[in-house]
Amino acid sequence: MKMKMISGLMLGAGALAGLMGSAVRAEPIQATPGQEVNAVLLPKFLGILPFDQANRGAQEAAAELGSTGKLQYIGPTPENSAAGQIEMLTTATTQKQHVVMLSNNAGDQIAPAAEAAAAAGTKVVTWDSPIPSGKGESFFVAQVDFGSIGVVMADMVYDLTGGAGEFAVLSASPDASNQNAWIEAMKTTLATHAKYKDLKLDDVVYGNDQSEESYNKALGLVDKYPNLKVIMAPTTVGIVAASKAMQDENLCDKVKVSGLGLPAEMVSYTLNGCAPEFALWSFVDLGYLTYYASYMLATGAIKGEVGEQIHAGRMGDYTIEADPGREGARRILMGPFTVYNKDNVEAAAK
Amino acid sequence: MIRALHPQTLRLIALGLALLAVVLFFSTQIDNYLSPRMFNRISTSAAVVLPVAVGQAIVVITRNIDLSMGSIMGVVAYMVGEALVLWPGLNPALVILMAMGLGAIAGSINGILVAWGRVPSIIVTLGTLALFRTFLVEHGNARTITADALPRWLVDLPQMSLLSLGGLDLRVTVALALAACLIVGLALSRLRPARKFYAVGSNPDAALMAGINSARVVFLAFVISGALAGLGGFIFLAKFGNITVVAGMGFELKAVAAVVVGGVSIMGGSGTMLGVLIGTVLVDTIDNSLTRLPWLSEFWRDALLGILIMAAVTVDTLASRSLNRLKRRGGE
Repeated sequence: MKMKMISGLMLGAGALAGLMGSAVRAEPIQATPGQEVNAVLLPKFLGILPFDQANRGAQEAAAELGSTGKLQYIGPTPENSAAGQIEMLTTATTQKQHVVMLSNNAGDQIAPAAEAAAAAGTKVVTWDSPIPSGKGESFFVAQVDFGSIGVVMADMVYDLTGGAGEFAVLSASPDASNQNAWIEAMKTTLATHAKYKDLKLDDVVYGNDQSEESYNKALGLVDKYPNLKVIMAPTTVGIVAASKAMQDENLCDKVKVSGLGLPAEMVSYTLNGCAPEFALWSFVDLGYLTYYASYMLATGAIKGEVGEQIHAGRMGDYTIEADPGREGARRILMGPFTVYNKDNVEAAAK
Repeated sequence: MIRALHPQTLRLIALGLALLAVVLFFSTQIDNYLSPRMFNRISTSAAVVLPVAVGQAIVVITRNIDLSMGSIMGVVAYMVGEALVLWPGLNPALVILMAMGLGAIAGSINGILVAWGRVPSIIVTLGTLALFRTFLVEHGNARTITADALPRWLVDLPQMSLLSLGGLDLRVTVALALAACLIVGLALSRLRPARKFYAVGSNPDAALMAGINSARVVFLAFVISGALAGLGGFIFLAKFGNITVVAGMGFELKAVAAVVVGGVSIMGGSGTMLGVLIGTVLVDTIDNSLTRLPWLSEFWRDALLGILIMAAVTVDTLASRSLNRLKRRGGE
């Protein structure tokens, strides 16, 4: 009896060791090219550059993998973003698409539609912006670690203020899950590192990714906080509008703009000193990696479980891991991002 | 004295009082509120909405509504920007004409469908709101018009002033918007043919009896509203420089708010351009001041904007009613 138990234990330990061994040894899973994957790339809305770049990357990956299915790039028009996304995800489900790649703009409202899709066999992979609760989603292809964006945002404020001073955040909409996560990460960074103790976050306001609202909000911040030194705008619409507002009102010497922006849109403001420093990652790469992972998920090469390692073509190897920001959800972390300044912005703008 | 005043005039006085009350309230809450800087902030911000509100008012006076104005604005801002990237040497006056012309073309599509297609304007323009925006998405092909690709004069236009008195600027964009409002206002009150807009709106059957071709009048109203949305698109382009497919989104509702607050009857047939001007400034003042209130959290701002607009409309209604009563009593 006792012997049996011990041998049972040993067997268990042996099996465990074997498992661990295989996990350590495991080669990244390779995709089998030439399979039929019908996929939909669903951005927040159509017609702006970052999403178009992501589509370029996804198309590149699809061509490389020689999928015999179709990759469609469809999305709602901007005035109908949230409702349109839910409708299109539902349509993709009834069409029995193999996988939908979603940059979520509908918060958790889209979760029931995503769960219904998953139940009907249409996988949902998110990129750029996840489903906050993670419900219905297989995994999230994260552009960068949300925690490290917080550090980069804090660092850019640190650089531009010279280490001490007041700043404010101009975000997109109050329910944009990616921006909210970054702002929270930045607040955590500010609170936990002594380096940032002299930086003071005055306010967080929202321009709803509209030029005129962001422009007016930026000027409102300047009026409301006379000692403001930096406006941190982690949104490509907000950062341009804030830069233009500072330039128009001759405030660039006093208040600097920073955040996340597209080099092509920011180049003039970086060179004239209104926005000396900002960051971004490659949306082309994000689309490429998202398609690779989605293709492998749809063909059954991976199950979307924590610990699975994939080989994503020219970008190399990635592992599915637990998402530290969302309990129970999984992510693939892409990274890194580039910080742009007057030395490298012109080359990137072309 | 009050006896001599027309009810419309009383309305305007009441509206002016509401604006005064709002300004006084905020001046007690915000430091350095009554400053030239604040004047410039609000005047330049209202200048983007004003032409759109004036266009909306003409359509509302004919008992219709134009929900596609924001989309027209976006299309015009984008296409005019595109033209200027290709031909930076275009004459500024020509550019403005082009913006209004493009807007008028879009407006004429609405006009034909409403006037001769007999489809209710709310349906037609809800459709073209999506249609024009989709056209922009297709046409734009995800390219952004950036400020550095535009000619210098256009990028500098928002800071240019026609005249400046003690820090109070009359910026060119503000002058353009005011000019549009003034011309339309004078035409509506002084020109005989322009009175047809009111006739068609207040009683379409009577207008028909009086030999007015109401279809043509309604068509014209939509063409003018399109052209003014185009002018708004031009000012939008000059002010923000960076144009994507979201340009002008939501402006149709800002315009409707300004028009209704400005005392234009949603049932058609009545309203003045001076009222629209005050309405636009009132809504914009509330909006821009709320973002500067130190104690107000972001999430309450929209709710408070709604409450203040309702309060302003109530003050306006009560004041014009009591002024009317005063007038009657004076008349006995």
